[in-house]
Amino acid sequence: MATYQCPDCGYVYDEKVGCEHEGYPAGTQWEDIPEEFPCPDCFVREKPDFEMLEGGK
Amino acid sequence: MTVVNKSIVIIGAGHAGLTLAREIRANCNTTTITIISREAIRGYYKPNLSKALSMHKAPDQLVMKQTETIAEELNATLLGRFTVIEINSGRKEVKGLLNDSEESSVMTIPYDSLVMATGASPIRLPIERDLTTPLLSINNLEDYETFRSRIEQKKKILIIGAGFVGCELASDLISSGYEVDIIDQCEWPLQRSMPEVMGTEIKKAMAEQGVNWHLGVTLLSVTKNEQGAMLGSLSDGTTIQIDEVVSAVGLIPNTRLARGAGVAVQRGIEVDAFSQTHQPDVYALGDCVEYQGVTLPFIAPATHAAKALAKTLTGTKTALALPALPVAVKIRACPTVVCPPLIKKGIWQVQGAGMNLEAHFINERGQLSGFALIGQCISKKTKLASECIPTLTPIVDINASREAVA
Repeated sequence: MATYQCPDCGYVYDEKVGCEHEGYPAGTQWEDIPEEFPCPDCFVREKPDFEMLEGGK
Repeated sequence: MTVVNKSIVIIGAGHAGLTLAREIRANCNTTTITIISREAIRGYYKPNLSKALSMHKAPDQLVMKQTETIAEELNATLLGRFTVIEINSGRKEVKGLLNDSEESSVMTIPYDSLVMATGASPIRLPIERDLTTPLLSINNLEDYETFRSRIEQKKKILIIGAGFVGCELASDLISSGYEVDIIDQCEWPLQRSMPEVMGTEIKKAMAEQGVNWHLGVTLLSVTKNEQGAMLGSLSDGTTIQIDEVVSAVGLIPNTRLARGAGVAVQRGIEVDAFSQTHQPDVYALGDCVEYQGVTLPFIAPATHAAKALAKTLTGTKTALALPALPVAVKIRACPTVVCPPLIKKGIWQVQGAGMNLEAHFINERGQLSGFALIGQCISKKTKLASECIPTLTPIVDINASREAVA
């Protein structure tokens, strides 16, 4: 399971946890998140801007 | 990747200035970038200042990148603790005082393009005080360090202002065991961004957590009594005992340097769709500017402006377009997202019940021009943002449209 971080606000997307209130249940892989996924904390950055923290491909 | 051998000087190392530098580097390796700031340069996300207590973070833990890392990543020269003395837009030079730990020295930095990202400063209310310490307000990490050291061992905090920062700070403090009073002359929290019925729900939810609201009143004075207790006198005649006061009543663009450089300034620095001021080769972005008469003191518009300006400065002239940009307001008691309307004429239409509300701001032409969401309705933010009219439509590039027609 990998984690990815928003470069602006520091929000971490953890595949283990998912992002329930955005409609991505626990276990949702990063590759299954759409490209236009905005950071749910700051809305400023989108998926392509996220930086891999650990375990990603 | 374009090759542009020019020197870009950025005044200000907040979100706008640092994002611009990062975007310039993403487009071009060959420009020389110099970033100057009157504060020490540290990479942090400003909105985190109003949620650091709940994140269990000390001020220095909010720093995501130190000066050396930023300089290395951006391949830029970073000059912190630099006070600008003069901008000479004729000779294209910035003169200033670099305050090193030991000594200070005068430096003159030539530029091809100058970008003002000087931010905004907290508005100071005329509140009578007999205290020696200045009224606290939080606008950068240094202010926040002061705030955290001053609330240590204290209990009751009074916040002046029930806007974004005031509500977020209140939520952060109350979640961390402080007692919180909020005072504002408005009738409900976030009054400029949402209708009364919604603001009332937020007020109720935060009151259940323990926030004491004083709305529709002003703070007249803060004094110390003979026992050394701090007292706030309100315009409705009540007096409240407090340990510390924080002001969060809004920001005013920093335009002093721009005025000095002969740049046109209204409330903010006036810029066109290319972030250019009235002076050639002088640009501005972020909290210090105004677009078509409006200031947009949020993170997202600054990011969009930085991306467009970075392209322009590296050879691809790009006009700034701002779609409707929702903002999350971190209120633990009530999830909130707003996309404030920038116009006054229009009406709020509200759907939903209880703490799950959706409010649309409809302008005179019947268009959705802002919205506010609380509770479970916040999941509609992306859909509504796509339906909302843009905040700023760029001036269409005449040449480009001609080519398209041809």
